[in-house]
Amino acid sequence: MTATAVMTEPSRDPAARIGEWFDRRSGGLMIMPAVVILLAFAIFPLITSAYLALTRFALSAGGFDLRFIGLRNFRKLLFGSQQYHFLGTFGELGLVGGAALALVAIAVAYGFVRYLRGARVSAIGVVGRLIAAALALAVATLFVRTVTGGGFPGSLGVTIIYVVGGVAVQFALGLGLALLCARPIRARNFFRVVFFVPLMVTPVGIAYAFRMLADTDKGPFAPIWRFAGFQEFAWATDPWSARLVVMIGDTWQWTPFLFLVLLAAIENQPREQMEAATIDGASSYQVFRDITWPAIAPVAATIVLIRLIEAFKIIDLPNVLTNGGPGIATESMTLHAFIAWRTLDLGGSAAVGYMLLFVTTVTCLSFFHFVVRRTRVLET
Amino acid sequence: MTARHDRSLRQRLFEPRDLVSMAPVTKLLTYAGLFAWTLVVLFPLYWLLITSFKLPVQVNDGPDYLPFIDFAPSGHAWRYIFVELGNDTLRPYFNSVIIALGATLLAVLIGSLAAYALVRIEYRVKVGAVVAFLVILAGVVWAIAVQGLPWTLSAAIGGALFVLFMVTLARRLRRHLGNNDILFWIISNRVLPPVVAVLPIYVMFQQLRLLDTHVALIATYTAVNLPIVVWLMRDFFATIPVDLEESAQIDGASKLRIFFGIVLPLAKPGLAATFLLVLILSWNEYLLALFLSTANAQTMPLLVAAQNATRGPQWWYMSVLIVIMIAPVVAITVLLQKYIARGLLIGAVKG
Amino acid sequence: MRITRALTTGALAGAVLAGATAANAAEFDGVTVNIMTFTGPQIAEPLQRRAPVFEKLTGAKINVITVPFSDLYTKLLTDWAAGTNSIDAAVFAPQWMVDYVAPGYLEDLTDRVAADSALQAGDIAPFFRDFSQQYNGRTYMITLDGDFQMAYYRKDVLADAGLQPPATWDDYIAVAKALHGKDMNGDGSPDFGSCISKKRNAQAYWAVTSIAAAFIQSQGTSQGAFFDTRDMKPLVNNEAFAAALDVYTETTKYAPPDEINLDVGDTRSLFTSGRCALTIDWGDIGTLAIDPQTSKVIDKVGAVVLPGSTRVLDRDSGKLVPCDAKTCPHAVNGVNHAPFAAFGGWSGGINKAARPKVKDAAYAFFSYMSQPAQSNVDVTIGKTGFNPYRLSQFKGLDNWTKAGMSAAAAKDYLGAIQASLNSPNMVLDLRIAKNQAYQQVVLDTAIARLLAGEINKAQAMRAIEDGWNELNEENGVDEQLALYKSTLGQK
Repeated sequence: MTATAVMTEPSRDPAARIGEWFDRRSGGLMIMPAVVILLAFAIFPLITSAYLALTRFALSAGGFDLRFIGLRNFRKLLFGSQQYHFLGTFGELGLVGGAALALVAIAVAYGFVRYLRGARVSAIGVVGRLIAAALALAVATLFVRTVTGGGFPGSLGVTIIYVVGGVAVQFALGLGLALLCARPIRARNFFRVVFFVPLMVTPVGIAYAFRMLADTDKGPFAPIWRFAGFQEFAWATDPWSARLVVMIGDTWQWTPFLFLVLLAAIENQPREQMEAATIDGASSYQVFRDITWPAIAPVAATIVLIRLIEAFKIIDLPNVLTNGGPGIATESMTLHAFIAWRTLDLGGSAAVGYMLLFVTTVTCLSFFHFVVRRTRVLET
Repeated sequence: MTARHDRSLRQRLFEPRDLVSMAPVTKLLTYAGLFAWTLVVLFPLYWLLITSFKLPVQVNDGPDYLPFIDFAPSGHAWRYIFVELGNDTLRPYFNSVIIALGATLLAVLIGSLAAYALVRIEYRVKVGAVVAFLVILAGVVWAIAVQGLPWTLSAAIGGALFVLFMVTLARRLRRHLGNNDILFWIISNRVLPPVVAVLPIYVMFQQLRLLDTHVALIATYTAVNLPIVVWLMRDFFATIPVDLEESAQIDGASKLRIFFGIVLPLAKPGLAATFLLVLILSWNEYLLALFLSTANAQTMPLLVAAQNATRGPQWWYMSVLIVIMIAPVVAITVLLQKYIARGLLIGAVKG
Repeated sequence: MRITRALTTGALAGAVLAGATAANAAEFDGVTVNIMTFTGPQIAEPLQRRAPVFEKLTGAKINVITVPFSDLYTKLLTDWAAGTNSIDAAVFAPQWMVDYVAPGYLEDLTDRVAADSALQAGDIAPFFRDFSQQYNGRTYMITLDGDFQMAYYRKDVLADAGLQPPATWDDYIAVAKALHGKDMNGDGSPDFGSCISKKRNAQAYWAVTSIAAAFIQSQGTSQGAFFDTRDMKPLVNNEAFAAALDVYTETTKYAPPDEINLDVGDTRSLFTSGRCALTIDWGDIGTLAIDPQTSKVIDKVGAVVLPGSTRVLDRDSGKLVPCDAKTCPHAVNGVNHAPFAAFGGWSGGINKAARPKVKDAAYAFFSYMSQPAQSNVDVTIGKTGFNPYRLSQFKGLDNWTKAGMSAAAAKDYLGAIQASLNSPNMVLDLRIAKNQAYQQVVLDTAIARLLAGEINKAQAMRAIEDGWNELNEENGVDEQLALYKSTLGQK
């Protein structure tokens, strides 16, 4: 520690004495508040919730009690009466689905074998990859079985649809807008501020605003809707159109975040290289592919990771737009846990929350490992 | 001028005149794209704004697009929110201001300190100590929840056990964690879904008799936003050359003085961006506020959600509330806008 | 304007009350009561409006705290179960009473009610006084609102088409079918035959029971419509429930295309803006329909007791059998009606853990709100969300005509309410422990999935049956059966 590098004369001035005392202990003092707060608000709740997930909550005279029931809450979600709700309703495994699954399995196996043959094999690496591979296969199976062949995805599948679909679209839009905005245009700051605005609206507010906008009877697009002959069709009754509306709202809010950071990254890229390339007659696509993209890839990967972390927590939009309907088609995992909490199924709620934590952690770690790190390696 | 005459119409439309400008068609498409998205961004806000001036009948008969032409604007919703509800609007509003500002300042302060420390001071935390701490914490939770021990007693026993462990066994342990591990741990806390953490937090504040107070919400928002602050600020501090601090140290300035006098001013863009991001997140937070506040500390997002009554959503009132919620944040953003992008960028580049 | 009038009436009544109890004036000086209910304007509005008057009378300060409807149950339970006790009293559904009374969170009000002559308990309709407010023969809540579902129809539209108001569910469908696509509000665009709120996680699931009850319960209130009182077997996987589901899904065909995303509020505004011929709802539509600010159907709305069925469930075989004197003793013209007291009406309850003085003040406030001088005005105002529950509210039509209802409409509306209230075959809402999990989770989700086409009718019935059986087992079949029988007044 460098904390005690300088010793000065003890002084009478109390401010200076506090300063000295602080200097001597700065290592601990500077980081302690953050650590204590995180222990109290993250680690303690995490452990308590773990216990909660193993119990059944019941009201009792003058208070409540928690009966320990082991893994029954989890079993209910994965195999029992809530399976349809969490994993989904399984359909028939068709030929196409089977083929897709086989492809995924082969790809995963190939990646794993390549890793084992490689130079740096460690125990943690093997275990981590096994978990990631198992989860990837499980998710692929889940998708094929619940989305095709007459099945219906549960809150896990729906959450992943939101995360993957939403983040992909938001990234594409954010990047596209950033590229446009990085051109030599006037009023760039105007666009920057305007595009930033959606991020500032409370998600509950966005959800309600989009419910107003998506009203096909008295919303602003009602005449277009009627003109297109859709008055007999309601988006809220079809699973995919309902999910689409949720994702549109999500995209409206979060595209600015990706846009802003990507724009800053593009502005930051080496100018000379670009100009040289343009003089040499490179097309703008070539410039993007060979200069811009490699320069912004690390930022892009990190920002997508941040977005991924937040995307898994989606709740307000489906809750307000559809209350999770039609059926359970738009219910995200956080909403699932929230609804369970509302009826005082605290154990079930914590169990869903824990599954969410598990899925988020594995996804984000895998993304960090396989994407974010790669882009960094490329850079150096 | 002559160069232009040499070019065909096609060239003039599709090829740029020189390296710094764009060809007319490209320019047109660029502006078209940008304005299209501007429309996408602004239209929902415009709709909120005009809805706040509509009568219920006008909303239900809708859609009406242009005030004064399609419908006669009415201030009834604004009157209801500010006059009839009066304090019931202003109280949550000021709650939101106090809580968001308080939490943001605290999170930025505590987070910056930690981030700075992680850049400048080398830490070695023993793995064994961490494991022991977690085991003891789990034991304490078990004792409270299952055995029904009072939490004060359990916490005291747990604390004593941990100290005992640290002064006896801990010395023998060798494996330790470095700064990067600590950083990773801090950031990973952001992954925790609020829905998992909120019940224990509720019980914790209930035991401390702090439910439905500003303190509870400020503390919670500080905690959930700390990871972001540490993440973004660490890289800012890393870009600040260490020489300045060293010379100040030789001059006898204390660490605190260096931090507040030299380091923080240098990190202003990062601070501004982080401040704004955390402010927005705390200002708009709904789920935690729903659990932790009942009346006194109720925040604005709860009030917005509450307009969805059994008589159907009260669009006009809700629109007023959303508009007055967005306005101050937009103002701050315009003020801080030149810092935002730069601030976010550095965090993301190095994170 | 109407609010001002209501205010003056309230103030007048208050002055009278103050005169009568001058000695008690300011007896609650310095006492603050935190009362929680859901976000208004309904229910919260009259409480907030009358709180200052009450404070002048008694010195007690009433804080009305509101949370969204869907969070009320949990918010209140967490506050009381965890011992936070920041809420002294609440206005909520008596349907949830079991969860609050059994662990001992609610104050027993029996003696207070008995000693309170100003409350005029004898004036409260017997259904609310003797059943809704009570648990195991003791009074725990003060009714402020009378709730049950009825069917509403557009008098003008039905008359033009030469149709009678529906008496059975088959009639309901026939009327909806005949009128669907007609223009009912003169704007030139086609309107809908029936609008029933079917949104998930909202207040839709009550309508399912409103339909099913007529097929399931025929022997009077104490028979019960949710479980077989012999063995706690759910009454959801049989021909009767299947018939009800058929009706329920069939109505979707003559409804707005986004019906499954409509909350009660949405259907109410659709109906009052003249876009629906039929709907099922609580008493609220009657008063909302006469609100000149929002309504386009003033004096065009008729109300009838919930439609019935000519076939009812035989519980031994699970089959539907035709109505006769034995199977349907309460039938009217051969039709078995089973009006459903869905939700049970907003009522006030007091936290047992509150300080004695606070409890007294809270009781005094609820009593004040319920006294005819106040409530007889409040039930005529749509915004209050309060519906009639006192006998005196059916007698004089004065308050109703003053509120803007024509005498004929008022008679019609009150007649439908009275017909429901007087029915010996009224269906009590489910009031066993964790009834939220039974209805809001299991029933609601299965119905939502059925409407969304995720599962078929048989699967939906199976899902409800399995879900309810699972909950019975988790909470103890015998305990739940005992609770269920005691709420039905069975021994």
